[in-house]
Amino acid sequence: MATEAAPMDEKAKRMRDLLSSFYTPDPSISNNASSISTSFDNINSTSFDADQYMDLMIKKSNLEVLLQRHVQMAAEIKNLDTDLQMLVYENYNKFISATDTIKRMKSNIFGMEGNMDQLLQKIMSVQSRSDGVNTSLFEKREHIEKLHRTRNLLRKVQFIYDLPARLQKCIKSEAYGDAVRFYIGAMPILKVYGDTSFQDCRRASEEAIEIIIKNLQTKLFSDSESIQARAEAAVLLKQLNVPVDSLKAKLLEKLEQALDGLQIKPEEASKLAEYNDSSKDEETNDQGPAKIHEDAVRGFSEAMRAYREIFPDSEERLFKLARALTTMHFENMELYIRKRVSAAQFLGIFRIIWEDVVLMDEVLPEAALSDLSAEAAQVTLKQFVARTFSHLQQDISDTLLKFDINQKEVLKVVLEASRKAVLQGTADIFQGFRQLLDENTVIFVKMKDLLIGWIQKGFQDFFRSLEAHFLVLSGKTSSSNETEGLIEGKSSDKIQAGLILVLAQLSVFIEQKVIPRITEEIAASFSGGSSQAFENGPAFIPGELCRVFHAASEKLLQHYIDTRTQKISVVLRKRFKTPNWVKHKEPREVHMFVDMFLQELEEVGKEVKQILPQGTFRKHKRTDSNGSNTTTSSRSNTLHNDKMNRSNSQRARSQLFETHLAKLFKQKVEIFTKVEFTQESVVTTTVKLCLKSLQEYVRLQTFNRSGFQQIQLDIQYLKAPLKETVEDEAAIDFLLDEVIVAASERCLDVIPLEPPILDKLIQAKLAKSKEHNNNTVSS
Amino acid sequence: MQGGSSGIGYGLKYQARCISDVKADRDHTSFLTGTLSLKEENEVHLLRLSSGGSELICEGLFSHPNEIWDLASCPFDQRIFSTVFSTGDSYGAAIWQIPEPYGKSNSSTLECVASLDAHVGKINCVLWCPSGKSDKLISMDEQNLVLWSLDCSKKTAEVLSKESAGMRHSLSGGAWNPHDVNSVAATSESSIQFWDLRTMKKVDSIERAHIRNVDYNIKREHILVTADDESGIHVWDLRKAKVPVQELPGHTHWTWAVRCNPEYEELILSVGTDSAVNLWFASASSEKKTSESSVVASPQRVNPLLNSYTDYEDSVYGLAWSSREPWIFASLSYDGRVVIESVKPFLPRR
Repeated sequence: MATEAAPMDEKAKRMRDLLSSFYTPDPSISNNASSISTSFDNINSTSFDADQYMDLMIKKSNLEVLLQRHVQMAAEIKNLDTDLQMLVYENYNKFISATDTIKRMKSNIFGMEGNMDQLLQKIMSVQSRSDGVNTSLFEKREHIEKLHRTRNLLRKVQFIYDLPARLQKCIKSEAYGDAVRFYIGAMPILKVYGDTSFQDCRRASEEAIEIIIKNLQTKLFSDSESIQARAEAAVLLKQLNVPVDSLKAKLLEKLEQALDGLQIKPEEASKLAEYNDSSKDEETNDQGPAKIHEDAVRGFSEAMRAYREIFPDSEERLFKLARALTTMHFENMELYIRKRVSAAQFLGIFRIIWEDVVLMDEVLPEAALSDLSAEAAQVTLKQFVARTFSHLQQDISDTLLKFDINQKEVLKVVLEASRKAVLQGTADIFQGFRQLLDENTVIFVKMKDLLIGWIQKGFQDFFRSLEAHFLVLSGKTSSSNETEGLIEGKSSDKIQAGLILVLAQLSVFIEQKVIPRITEEIAASFSGGSSQAFENGPAFIPGELCRVFHAASEKLLQHYIDTRTQKISVVLRKRFKTPNWVKHKEPREVHMFVDMFLQELEEVGKEVKQILPQGTFRKHKRTDSNGSNTTTSSRSNTLHNDKMNRSNSQRARSQLFETHLAKLFKQKVEIFTKVEFTQESVVTTTVKLCLKSLQEYVRLQTFNRSGFQQIQLDIQYLKAPLKETVEDEAAIDFLLDEVIVAASERCLDVIPLEPPILDKLIQAKLAKSKEHNNNTVSS
Repeated sequence: MQGGSSGIGYGLKYQARCISDVKADRDHTSFLTGTLSLKEENEVHLLRLSSGGSELICEGLFSHPNEIWDLASCPFDQRIFSTVFSTGDSYGAAIWQIPEPYGKSNSSTLECVASLDAHVGKINCVLWCPSGKSDKLISMDEQNLVLWSLDCSKKTAEVLSKESAGMRHSLSGGAWNPHDVNSVAATSESSIQFWDLRTMKKVDSIERAHIRNVDYNIKREHILVTADDESGIHVWDLRKAKVPVQELPGHTHWTWAVRCNPEYEELILSVGTDSAVNLWFASASSEKKTSESSVVASPQRVNPLLNSYTDYEDSVYGLAWSSREPWIFASLSYDGRVVIESVKPFLPRR
């Protein structure tokens, strides 16, 4: 097909070229246009040279091809001849038909001129007739026209003269619309001739109009009229060129004043909320303030609707008003929740406000009130959540500081109370928030996710700040300006120490009980939703909080021990700074610092007993750590040896050597172990730290024989009561021995007291303290 | 990394409290330490870290007449040092010179350059002027501050001025400001006092009870570090000295001494009576952080404690950074054990 189509196409193209070359007058143009590939061998081009072409053919082709070419060419020539014949024939045909047409036209035109002349004549006669009629009727028409004009004028004059009366009539029938129309119709005339011919008339009508204006204004201002009527009045007034803007301003001012009445004052808010609740229960309670408020707002929104229709151009102003009311509502709300407000009360107020907003939104949908109030509501709600948490913190801290810690056994009470405060407070908060979540108002549904997020974050922040607050209360961190006064007020160390212990235990309680409970609660009713609001994962991270409080509890416990030991340390420091140990007199009795030391320990014991649980009883038996046993024995041996021949320096050197050796072989007594939340652990740690301090103080002094003996006596006396109170006997033994060793090392002349004398002095002291106790008991 | 026994140890014969870096020795990392024995013959040991840093060699052993409570090496002459000593019922302070040629380990006697005998009460410490070349000295007893001028060639020490701090303030120690040679900080029972040596007047003070030790940061002006008995370590900025810029927890028991690294400004070492040496990192940025966000404790706050060396048998009292190799420090526990440790693994990367 394709092979056949190609020559066909070629043939058609050649035909077209040939024809166009035939018709084109200038062969050169056709040349350019038809074929660019002009050459000698192109049969269609003008520059075709037959001889040359022939030569080329003969050279290029064999006989068969030449023959073929010949046949082909003959056919083509024949074809061209027939085509040419056809063309000539067709052209001739067309020429003949053209001649026919011309002939017909010629015959038709013939005779047309006579008809035209007749027509002209007839038109001429018609014209002359009509001229005649015109001239005969001209005068009469003039007259009629004049009469008509006069009549019109007269009618107008009549109208103007009638105007006052008519206006009065209109006033009577309150057809102000007609009156205004009449007056405006007469205006141009009155304006032109008012000062001359129609003076009276004008005055009268103006008076009437004034009355009308007045009436209209009253109508406009009166709330009893229908909105339609008022709107009409406004339109009429506008037509009368009365300055409506000032009227509008006045009206809107009135509306603004009405705003004040609509305020939900923080003082009244709670009442309102209560009534709102109660009116929900019993519909009869119509006269509740909530109802009144609702009516007022309804009136307000109606008025707004009216004004909107009356003054279509005043929308902006109304928007502003509505927005002002909304923001005012929320501002008042903020003021309101500054005080302590329950979630129910909060919701009550919130509902009222939302109703107001919905009412106004109906009237002014373009004011975007719902957006505005949604934003404001978010802010308020967020604040409410934040405030609730800060109130809780305040509650807890109040509970903690409420009691006078100097009373007996009060620490227990404080701990219980504060525990209850934490539990109860969080439970209340959950209840409140659940109410918020259950609220079905549109806006709350929208904010649900956000709310959950806030609550979670609120808890997180709450516990963080609670921890910081605990540390501040304990005096550990001395920053935070707001609580500073609070602490200074109670800065007595005694109160602090007990309080710190309570705080420590409370932290443990929060870590172990409260946070898991809150985690459960949150998982139960406050989960989800937050993922969109907080992309950084859930806001409430119980694991982190547990860590924080765990650390806090340990810190606080350590701090408690620190404050306690500090006090004892002061006693010790005084004890060692005051006397001249090198010139010490012979020991007569146990020094009184021991009493103070024991007294402090007793106090620690008392406080600890109230707050902390009893630890699993695991007294270190002396046999458990035989290492220390041998040490002490070897020490005392060396002491005795030393007494025997102290002048022998070789011996003394070996003493030190022996001490070192003993230390090498004995397991290191862990003095500074981790503190646990048990009574024993805390007391033990305190005692250990104090004894260590005692040792250090001893090391800083130089003693004479009597000084050393005094220390020996004091330590000997301490041994028994300390062992009673303390769990880790081995460590205490070790430390007490260390003190003696330190003293002997720092002594110029080591001669220990004979055991009988030691015993006697201790017995004397015991008797004395017993007597003292009896005295205090009896008194 | 608790208490790895990577340190190099050296045992003194008796108990000891003080160790000092020999700053003037530019060729070796050496330390001077003196024993504290009431009844025995006390010794001063000159220790040198071998060039490989693997061994602590005793370069000199000198007998000292009394037990040594304080020892400080002269910053410009490696052979000179000061001691504060006690005979039991009285105190004295003296400048000593190590005899030439030292280096033999057999005990030889020290040459007393000068005796700082202007005190009656308990002498706390002798401070060398930190500028390096100056021949000024300060000695401190519980009530008085004495400024000396030392002439090594004539072997005399002259009292330039003496001032009493008053009976109520019992001084316990001090530090000479390396940034201002006219300023000395002295710790007293209830405060840190700052003295101007030109007028010999107390110019300022920070109220803080029971400060045991104080040290200036050599690299950062106005920064002072103090150690308390109970409440650990405090970093102060002297321009706003109302509250400390940073608090470090210190030790389980008393924090006895604290030293700023002479080269790496953030590193602080402390020793305590809980038989431990703690290495702290007190960066300038974390100071700001703690002062700004004291309430909201940032959970990512870096633990300032870099390492705790706990391989000691007794309370650690002596502590000195090497000024030649500032990543090396020497510590001395009461049982007479000198331990040299390197803090190289904890150096801040820069």
